Amino acid sequence: MSVAVLPEIAEAESPAGPLVAQLKGLVVSLERRGVRSEILHGVDLDIAKGEILGVVGQSGSGKSVLATTLLGLLPASSKPIIEGAALVGEVDMAHASEAVRRQVRREHLGAVFQNPMTSLNPTMRVGKQVAEAAWTKDAEEAITLMNRVAIPQPAERLSSFPHQLSGGLRQRVMVAMAIADNPDLIIADEPTTALDTTVQAQVLATLKGMRDTIGCSIILITHDLGVAAQVADRIAVIYSGSIVELGTSRQVLEEPQHEYTKGLLASRLTLTTKKPPSRAPKPVAEVDTTGMSAKAAQKALEQARAKLRRPIVEMVDLTCTFKVKGPAGRLVDLNALRGVTTRVYDGQSMAIVGESGSGKSTLLRAVAGLETKIGGDLIKPAQAEIQMVFQDAGASLTPWLRTESILRERLRGIGREQQDRMIAETLERVGLPQEIMHARPKEMSGGQCQRVALARATIIPPKVLLCDEPTSALDVTLAGIILNLIRDLQSELNMTVMFVTHDLAVARFVADRIAVMYLGRLVEVGPVEEVTRNPRHPYTRALLEAVPGAGIKLATVRGEAPSPVNPPTGCAYHPRCVFARPECAAGDIGTVLARVSDEQHGPLVHEVACPHYADLKPMEVVK
Amino acid sequence: MNQLLWKKIGLRLATLVGILFTLTILLFVLEEISGFDPAAVKVGANASPEAIQAERERMGLNDPILVRYVRYIGGVVQGDLGTSYRTVHAITDDIAMYLPASIEIVGFAFVLAVLGASFFAISSQLRWPGTSLVRGAMFVAYTTPGFLLALFGILLFYRTWKVFPASGRISDPDALNGPTGFFTIDALLAGRPDLFADVVSHLVLPGIALAAIPAVAIGRVLRSSLSQTITSDYIRTAQMKGLSEWRVLTRHVVRNSLPATLSMLGLQVGFMFSGLIVVEKVFSYPGIGLYMANALGVADFPAISGGTLVLGTIYVVSNTVVDFLQSAADPRVELA
Repeated sequence: MSVAVLPEIAEAESPAGPLVAQLKGLVVSLERRGVRSEILHGVDLDIAKGEILGVVGQSGSGKSVLATTLLGLLPASSKPIIEGAALVGEVDMAHASEAVRRQVRREHLGAVFQNPMTSLNPTMRVGKQVAEAAWTKDAEEAITLMNRVAIPQPAERLSSFPHQLSGGLRQRVMVAMAIADNPDLIIADEPTTALDTTVQAQVLATLKGMRDTIGCSIILITHDLGVAAQVADRIAVIYSGSIVELGTSRQVLEEPQHEYTKGLLASRLTLTTKKPPSRAPKPVAEVDTTGMSAKAAQKALEQARAKLRRPIVEMVDLTCTFKVKGPAGRLVDLNALRGVTTRVYDGQSMAIVGESGSGKSTLLRAVAGLETKIGGDLIKPAQAEIQMVFQDAGASLTPWLRTESILRERLRGIGREQQDRMIAETLERVGLPQEIMHARPKEMSGGQCQRVALARATIIPPKVLLCDEPTSALDVTLAGIILNLIRDLQSELNMTVMFVTHDLAVARFVADRIAVMYLGRLVEVGPVEEVTRNPRHPYTRALLEAVPGAGIKLATVRGEAPSPVNPPTGCAYHPRCVFARPECAAGDIGTVLARVSDEQHGPLVHEVACPHYADLKPMEVVK
Repeated sequence: MNQLLWKKIGLRLATLVGILFTLTILLFVLEEISGFDPAAVKVGANASPEAIQAERERMGLNDPILVRYVRYIGGVVQGDLGTSYRTVHAITDDIAMYLPASIEIVGFAFVLAVLGASFFAISSQLRWPGTSLVRGAMFVAYTTPGFLLALFGILLFYRTWKVFPASGRISDPDALNGPTGFFTIDALLAGRPDLFADVVSHLVLPGIALAAIPAVAIGRVLRSSLSQTITSDYIRTAQMKGLSEWRVLTRHVVRNSLPATLSMLGLQVGFMFSGLIVVEKVFSYPGIGLYMANALGVADFPAISGGTLVLGTIYVVSNTVVDFLQSAADPRVELA
């Protein structure tokens, strides 16, 4: 698909000051599995000294190829054919010799890649890797670099192996290596996509801080317009191998010219995205009784009340403890759930929100019956009435089975003709063409795989549908479509939905209620609008503040979530809490939540774990 | 060394004892059901039934199997593996005499296998021109049974071209006398490079016969783990630092490709020891394999048991060493 370059782009604001890098008519074609295709169709881009340029596009847009070309690291196995130039300083990284490119990378470039879990050498100590980037053997130099990216206790971390560090710390190590030898340009390819929102804000702040202190330029490649908007001076929107829009961040966000940019902006979920009306049973106060006789109205109200109060999943002091290898090689307890008490009501959807390690996925797996090491009470429908959809849909489908077989597996004991009818209906319901019956997971796109996963889960409608981050691996536009599909399925099939996500904007969009988890406990539970507009727990506030967007101050939460092996005393959140008082560290605050308001939401009360919530000033919600 | 490591070593030793126990039981049951009478062999084919019976009584063969087993284990614990029916020597003495020869040939084959594997992996990884022919030949050797390969070697290099000797350890068996029993080392200690060359030339054909299959097996694992490592994200990170290709290879690729290769290496060392029986027999190489092959022919069960226990020990120990090396190479690997 070719996209005409709009005339506006030619007139878009050029960067001020000298250039550190320049793409001139860059055309890149690569061979994948023997098929050659043109990935970039003539990209022109200037990167000025000291600027942060956001390059935004969806997967397959060519944004990573652009970065890799500029780094001179296109793999020879893809047989790249490159026209035009990718200049860093005076050197054309597209055509210079390997030795020259290597020298440019060493002296002028730094890079931060997407997955901090796989981007560090697993068998080399962190300090050595950082020192190597600075071309020294001096541990002091490594400590200095690690200090600059705010790695706590760098001297102690020197001898750690990457797997002993958290994701956020690993990404900081990557940044430390990128800034070694003061590069002119850092290329950050989706540097925060694999991180929690709170950690994402910290890493973005670190990157921006590096620009401010060493004056390097940064190319920030991301699929998330919000992330780019937060730190970039200019934004280039790339679509299908061409730049379709280029301008200052403000221009692109406020006066987008290209339809694609407008679409991207519209499909982005924020905390103010207009939400389609909930189809869950209405709170009693909202039941429309006008025009009814007194008796009928009474009956309608009672029915509504009864339905609202019918819990379908109920947990009382639910705990889940795993045995893991501790530092000395001994087995220690990891308390993934430390006493969760809540109810999920029939026909509603509840979002469970938290950082990685909060226990949100464990909670979902416990409800799914996939965790056996649980304590406390868990009341739930029969196993067959519960279905689950996972984050990586492609991996959750058996690779050698065709869609048809995957769906038929759930229809054992049903007549062939009826099976055929059910499959046809289900495929239509999830918006898939009938031909997909004969496709294997590898032959389908990420969105199609997730639809097949949903079809598998709902071909016999379950009472409870469990969703574990089903959209976080998908592009924004696709994520929105899948979320809408889940909402539609919920009301059409009258299901209860439990939805795990780390993204409050997503939670707000799909759910009727939100439960915020921290270190295996609930810290805040309430109706969606209450929790997102009037958050009472400091942690919920921090999560809300970390939702990326333009003009938002970065990095509000300190540190990262502590290990569930050894949770802090008192309120587990107190070491990171900006409102913490001395007494917050003492004793155990227990697992019972305080009721915030007596407002009549039926059972949809707003509850919070912080004993001091009443003293907190109301949060200003700007988004 | 920390306490934990010692505990793990202790655990492995306990496992080894368990395995050896099982082996001895298996061998005893085998001997029992074979219906073979060593007493009859000992007194000769023309001996009267009474003489055989008397010999059986003398050898303790008429005792119940449990009594004989306990007697055997009692001896093993004290380092006594019994007496060979065939050589009439203590089996421990026989093994002490033949084991160095076998370790020498396996050591030689091991080096050949590692070199061959590295060549196989690196040449196909870097697509060196012209080496696909050698790899093809290696692959043919891989699919050929060991004894056939040995016979080919003898026909070509010994009978036709007369470049390598095809039997024994050394041309003049009396030329060397100790102190280690490893002829390569003894020749060097004696300051006789000519004898050293002679010993090595005797190692070549059986060494290749032993190493051919392991070389390809290890090479294929090494190749796939190299190519997996090279395309990984952290190698891109290393390239990003501007390191030279050689430095990336030696500092980042090799160590990360080791774990899978090491486990195949451990398996193949065990495989080489079990391959000794055929190869030493074909090349009349006086090692523990030939000793066992000869013992098998005359149902010399004490010798077979002794040899099996030694090979079993070597097998378990070499795999344990591999496990420890693996966890040393990759900090994420926990010793079980």
